[in-house]
Amino acid sequence: MFGFSRSNQNRAQFEALLTPWLDPLYASAVRLTRNERNAEDLVQDTVMRAWRFFEKFEKGTNFRAWIFKILTNTFINSYRRNTRERSLQDESERQSVEARFFSAELTEQTQNPEEFLLNRVMSQDVLVAIDTLSIDFRMVVILADLQEFSYKEIAEILDIPVGTVMSRLFRGRKQLQKILLAREGESAETIDLNAFRERKKLA
Amino acid sequence: MNCRDLETQLTPYLDGELIAEARVEFESHLASCPTCPGHVEVERHNLSTLRAAMHEASPAAPAAFRAKLFENIARDSNRQQRLSVGRVAAVAAGVTFAMVAGHHEYRLHQRHLYEQDAAMRHARQFPLEIQQSPDAIERWFGGKLDHPVNVPRFPNATATGARLLQVRDKPAAYIRYDSARPMGLFVFGDDHDLDVGAEAELGSSHGYNVVSWREGDVVYQLVGRDVDEQDIRELLPPAAGETPVTNPRLDVRPASLQQ
Repeated sequence: MFGFSRSNQNRAQFEALLTPWLDPLYASAVRLTRNERNAEDLVQDTVMRAWRFFEKFEKGTNFRAWIFKILTNTFINSYRRNTRERSLQDESERQSVEARFFSAELTEQTQNPEEFLLNRVMSQDVLVAIDTLSIDFRMVVILADLQEFSYKEIAEILDIPVGTVMSRLFRGRKQLQKILLAREGESAETIDLNAFRERKKLA
Repeated sequence: MNCRDLETQLTPYLDGELIAEARVEFESHLASCPTCPGHVEVERHNLSTLRAAMHEASPAAPAAFRAKLFENIARDSNRQQRLSVGRVAAVAAGVTFAMVAGHHEYRLHQRHLYEQDAAMRHARQFPLEIQQSPDAIERWFGGKLDHPVNVPRFPNATATGARLLQVRDKPAAYIRYDSARPMGLFVFGDDHDLDVGAEAELGSSHGYNVVSWREGDVVYQLVGRDVDEQDIRELLPPAAGETPVTNPRLDVRPASLQQ
């Protein structure tokens, strides 16, 4: 039957495209959801959604960006449903983030030689640090630094301007470094983190 | 470019996102600046350390989870195939059913509209155009309608007069029967618009009972009060090969009234 063989062919095609990205999807999902069981659910939802919309995928275009867009959309939808954490997509906040991106204060901070990370950062510390990022920073950092998507791809995946990708990435990384440096500095780590959070709130 | 400009472009520079021109400018400042190269190196180091740690900390999808995932795709794929086959069949069946049911509904509805109209016109007791014997009535109708009008002879009622009327849009012969319960019979041509068969069926409207039946392309609607099942049986048109309704077996009048 025509429909039958076409559908099997579709499935083989889909599975071939999907397989190389299963680990990256799963790793990203773990960092997004901060929890392995939720990550499985998220990847499961993402893959089934992608499979059902596979007809809409333009063959020969960027499958990885396509399926990561489904992943982040699925995550954002369930996340927004389940939590009240505010998103930085709010326009006024977005502008303030961009203003800070170019602030002299941050410029000075980055020139502080103390910010040199130890060569061997503990992986566990990185995970903890990423988990403290707000959802918008976390998504950009995961897409850029874990999945190494280009700014343009990230802009398309998250439906935000390239400038916003850049500023979130800058801010997210700075925050991660700050947390990791605080961990390395052992003694006052929690104070530093809290101080950082306070400053972030007030800014 | 000064040190400040460099700072604003550091992130895209490290990510390899600067366009060629901007990168050339960036690097020419680096080559001439005493402080920036050290700062850029720190940032480059931090970024690669961060990325390395993130990759190192990335779990692979568990094998059991992968297996379950592909199983689910296969199951969903099979279900979609069944659904699509089933859906086509269901839609086809549904459409056919809807058409049959819809058409049936439509014809039933039409019949009811004709019953209503016949009952109303009968109730208005229009003056008759001819008041003579059944034979004379049949002759009088000759040529006035597109179909011949036979005046049915009922055992319990006699046709006493007639006129031309309509039932809805259809020109009809109207024949009045006098009996204990006066009845009116409408006879009109119908090319099977109405859900009326050879078998007489009882409907009602405006307090009248309406019995409808068909003989070929001609529909009969008999309207009267308190026409009951007994009457209907008496009024059944003669089936092919049977003796007419005047068959004494159907004559339920008291013996004293029978001819």
